[in-house]
Amino acid sequence: MTNATIQEIEGIDDYWGPAFRSVYEGEGHEAFVQQLDERIKQHDKEIEKLCNFHYQGFIDSIRELLQVRSHAEELHAEISNVDANVKEATESLCTGADELIRARRVELNIAATIEKMELCLPLLTTYSKLKTQVEAKRYYPALKTLEQLEHVLLPRVGPYKWCSQISSDIPRLRQSIQDASMADLRDFLENIRKLSPQVGAMALKQTQEMLGRSLASIVKNKKDMAVLGITGRDSAGPQCPHELVDFSPLHRCLHIHSVLGAKNDFIQYYRAQRKQQARLVLIPSGNLHDSIQSVKNYLNAVLGFFILEEYLLSAGAGLVSKDWLLDTWSMAITKVASTLRTNTSLITDPTLMLSVKHQIVLFINTLKCYGLPTEPLPLLLQEMAEHYTEVLMQRWVVVFRDILDNAPFLPVEVENQEQYDGVMDTFPYDGEELEMQPFPRKFPFSSIVPAVYVQVKEFIYAWLKYSAGLGLGGSRRAAAARHSASLLLSRSFTGCLSALFRRPIPLMQLTQIIVDTKYLEDATLYLYEFISNITGSELVTTQAAGSMFQAARDDAEQQICDKLEKKVDEFLDLENYDWLLVEPTGQASSFVADMLSYLSGVLTSLEQLPERARVAAVRAATNRIATRLRNLLLDPAVKQISSGALHQLDLDVIQCEQFAAGEPVPGLKEGELLEHFASLRQLLDLVNGWEWSSYLHDIGKEGGKYALVTPRDAATLLEKLKEAEQKSSVFTVLKKNERDRRKLLDTVLKQLKQLQNQDGS
Amino acid sequence: MAKTYDYLLKLLLIGDSGVGKTSILFRFSEDAFNISFISTIGIDFKIRTIDLDGKKVKLQIWDTAGQERFRTITTAYYRGSMGIMLVYDVTNEKSFENIKNWIRNIEENASADVEKMILGNKCDLDSKRQVSKERGEQLAIEYQIKFVETSAKDSLNVEYAFFTLARDIKAKMEKKQEASNPAPRSGAHQLRANEQQRKPTSWLSRCSLL
Repeated sequence: MTNATIQEIEGIDDYWGPAFRSVYEGEGHEAFVQQLDERIKQHDKEIEKLCNFHYQGFIDSIRELLQVRSHAEELHAEISNVDANVKEATESLCTGADELIRARRVELNIAATIEKMELCLPLLTTYSKLKTQVEAKRYYPALKTLEQLEHVLLPRVGPYKWCSQISSDIPRLRQSIQDASMADLRDFLENIRKLSPQVGAMALKQTQEMLGRSLASIVKNKKDMAVLGITGRDSAGPQCPHELVDFSPLHRCLHIHSVLGAKNDFIQYYRAQRKQQARLVLIPSGNLHDSIQSVKNYLNAVLGFFILEEYLLSAGAGLVSKDWLLDTWSMAITKVASTLRTNTSLITDPTLMLSVKHQIVLFINTLKCYGLPTEPLPLLLQEMAEHYTEVLMQRWVVVFRDILDNAPFLPVEVENQEQYDGVMDTFPYDGEELEMQPFPRKFPFSSIVPAVYVQVKEFIYAWLKYSAGLGLGGSRRAAAARHSASLLLSRSFTGCLSALFRRPIPLMQLTQIIVDTKYLEDATLYLYEFISNITGSELVTTQAAGSMFQAARDDAEQQICDKLEKKVDEFLDLENYDWLLVEPTGQASSFVADMLSYLSGVLTSLEQLPERARVAAVRAATNRIATRLRNLLLDPAVKQISSGALHQLDLDVIQCEQFAAGEPVPGLKEGELLEHFASLRQLLDLVNGWEWSSYLHDIGKEGGKYALVTPRDAATLLEKLKEAEQKSSVFTVLKKNERDRRKLLDTVLKQLKQLQNQDGS
Repeated sequence: MAKTYDYLLKLLLIGDSGVGKTSILFRFSEDAFNISFISTIGIDFKIRTIDLDGKKVKLQIWDTAGQERFRTITTAYYRGSMGIMLVYDVTNEKSFENIKNWIRNIEENASADVEKMILGNKCDLDSKRQVSKERGEQLAIEYQIKFVETSAKDSLNVEYAFFTLARDIKAKMEKKQEASNPAPRSGAHQLRANEQQRKPTSWLSRCSLL
């Protein structure tokens, strides 16, 4: 042992360290190692004793353990055997259980499926029903089905794919139903558009039948029916006009839309459509003034349209409201009135006019039946009445013109009683005197009188045709008819006469026209009588027709005067005075003689003429003769007049004066015609009588013998005489008394010129 | 005052009612035609001035009513006439036959030297013709009167007829004037001398011009 090792032991153990040191450093080392060997021999003896004691027990334990080991092996084999047996037994059991579990599960599944399927089945049937309904166009039930499908059946069924498909299909179906029903509506609208004229026609016909209904006609109808074996009114056709139309599509549509919740939209749509249709209906398809058929069609269509609307007002479930109907109607009636007004104003055929009027009256009556206001139409009828009168007048203007153009204007002459009666039948004439005369008898008037009279009657007939059925009273109709007849005569006929006068008409014809107008005027009273007879009103005679043709007569008279004056002019144009005639022939110039005989001939043949006209004619003629003769004398182109020529003219004037004094026509005042020649006569007397002193003395005084001779005329004539005398005596020496005469002449001329200048200043 | 004419000739149209006297005159004076028939009442006249060999000749043509009832009025005008047109209607046999009566009328009432001419009017109506042109000429030769067929409607020979008649009268008057110089200026109506009948040869040659 070394020091280092002791130190280490000291470092570890405080007890054993110092012990070792003391041993190491002291001298006891053998004592100590002997002690230690003794201690080791003691411990070995104890261990050997302990081991001898436990060895037997140990052996026994080993033996026992070996025994346990064999038992354990035995147990192990037994248990393995049991295990195998159990294993074998439970294997089939497990299979069965598994199968059972599977079967149970299938069973459950089937039950669940059936349950679900049962829920789906009604849905599917409904759906198929829906399809069939849609296909059969039974939209309303289809819609109901759809409703059921959507709200009842579909929620019940689970969220299957096909269900969602159906659900998504529902709006589409609904839309298509709506579309289809709209299409139906359109068909319906189109249909009623086609039918409404028939409806209107039927309504008009019924109104007409109703208006024409009288006891007699009813009895007759009954009889007819009895004969035909028809009892009552059970004939097949519809009884009411609206029955012509099948409204079911409309109702269906309405139902459908109410179901769809779009009732209001539908009503709006319907009204808009109908309004549009109304506009179309209101535009006539053709010219209404060509034929009655187009007017009928037009009115039928309009009427039919509103009859249907009116029907829907009561039966249309709010489809048509009173306000809407009246509103549309007032628009329509205004349009109808204006269309008719425009078109009727173009009509020139009175028959057509009458038919149109009849249609409108019927139309109005039918409207009343249906409670629709007729307002502007009565006014239209009045306007048409005026136009009708105009049209008739135009017609009759042609008739009158025709009568006048082809009239010979000769008094009607009849050969026998038959012809006589023929005239007397057509014209009211007091034939008492004529009755006595032998045939041929001559009426004072020409053929135009009965012809025009008959035509005026025709006109009145035609005119009254219009006012028939307008519900006017007899006296109002009569008054209007009188007015129109007077208008016809005083305007149309007079107009025709005036037109007649524009072309030259022979004198005799003019005379006859004047006579004829008188007879026509007198016949007006009979016309009034005729009017009151056919209108059943009292005779009104207050309306004086006296001077209805006065204007025409004045025209004719003026023409007669003009004609005579023209003839006088023609005669005077034939004058062939030799102004330097030495000796007068001793007889009147031939043109004067011709003229006067012509005039007296003409005036005799004018004896039919009213006195007034004849007086006017003869006045015009004589005045013309006097003026022309006087102008001849004072014509500046005639430079010289011999006293022979003056005497010849004087002779002619005397002839004319004789004619004038001879009262060529009755009704003249004594000496009246001579006054036309007065100034000429005074001039001639003055110059021929050479009474210058008394002329110049009396000049400017009232009532002088030559008061009508102006100094200018006297001077003019005197100049011409002087010229002629100078010419004839240019180569001869003047005798004394001739010189005196010449001197006097110059003095007188000077005086006259002075007077002229005084007058001029 | 300047004279408007050199000669004044008074002519007369006579013949049955409806033969067309007024139409002929209307055609001659107005150069117009009116289809409608208005019978003349009494008497009327028209004046037309024509130019004949440089002379202004005024024709005063008297148109008479053909109807019997006006006979007294119309015959009064025969006396002063210098020329008379006898008119018949070629479509009316009766009117042709009556020409003889009218000639007798002239002989009784007119001056002996009056110029005459026969007109067969309405020769445009060939389909209705009853009197042939030859018969007209035959009659004219019988009486030694000029003859021409006319149509007032187609304005055929109307002018010719009046001009011929006027020319003949004028020639006669001029001859008369030469015979008795100094001649009256133009008072042709005063001519009274019994002039010998004209030779028919002269007008026959003219007629063939038709």
